[in-house]
Amino acid sequence: MATLMEGPGSEYTPKFAPFFGMAGIASAMIFGCLGAAYGTAKSGIGIAGVGTYRPDLIMKSLIPVVMSGIIAVYALVIAVLIASDIGPPPQQNYSLFTGFMHLAAGLSVGLAGLAAGYAIGIVGDMGVRSYMQQSRVFVGMVLILIFGEVLGLYGLIVGLILQSKS
Amino acid sequence: MAATRRNNPSEKTTSDAQGASSISIQVSQTAPAVPASVIYKLLGFTLAMICIPIGSYFLSVDVFFRGNATYAGALAAIMANVVLFAYIIVAMKEDQTDRLEDEKKRKKAQ
Repeated sequence: MATLMEGPGSEYTPKFAPFFGMAGIASAMIFGCLGAAYGTAKSGIGIAGVGTYRPDLIMKSLIPVVMSGIIAVYALVIAVLIASDIGPPPQQNYSLFTGFMHLAAGLSVGLAGLAAGYAIGIVGDMGVRSYMQQSRVFVGMVLILIFGEVLGLYGLIVGLILQSKS
Repeated sequence: MAATRRNNPSEKTTSDAQGASSISIQVSQTAPAVPASVIYKLLGFTLAMICIPIGSYFLSVDVFFRGNATYAGALAAIMANVVLFAYIIVAMKEDQTDRLEDEKKRKKAQ
């Protein structure tokens, strides 16, 4: 049993185990930045539409863009955390369990960030446009944006919990 | 050829009119629309959004949490949210100051 558990290529630490950890890093950054990019672009369309009529509202209309940036920060945090746990084989025996766990952490953060960015983009676009016509929409818009952004935060919490079990 | 000759002067006049009107609108609107304080605020928040989460992670991972990267990552996420709420508060305050200035101007005018 001792020979099975030691060294790369054994039963618990196969040679392909780091692939899943790397896939976790990549999926966190790719999907998280997809969501952040969609949120930024879609709400940017709304801000461009508002800015031609009411340039004084641009400062408050930029809130969805800031929130989309936070989605990308979540993805960056989990990617940095996973990357700090992966090392080349001679110094570190990377187990298959750790690889799957890092994949789960990266996928949960990335796909939750994609969902949050999608929600922020749509709410940011329409919310900013209706805020131009009715200023009382602002508090509701910010609340909806915060609830959308919290979806990404849930993914980050699950990712951090998973990542701390290695 | 006749058609193009007919069209040319009309096109010129419309383009001249549009150009003149757009120039006049730009001159009258850009000056008060983006004051320097707003640009400095936006630049400051952009810099804060880039530097504070990552900086807090790499500063706190060795100093405060002694290598526990999970707490440092959570701190980075919390600092990003702090920047967001600071931005929301600043944006709401700016709207209030704009309103107060407008009311002052109206009172002076009256």
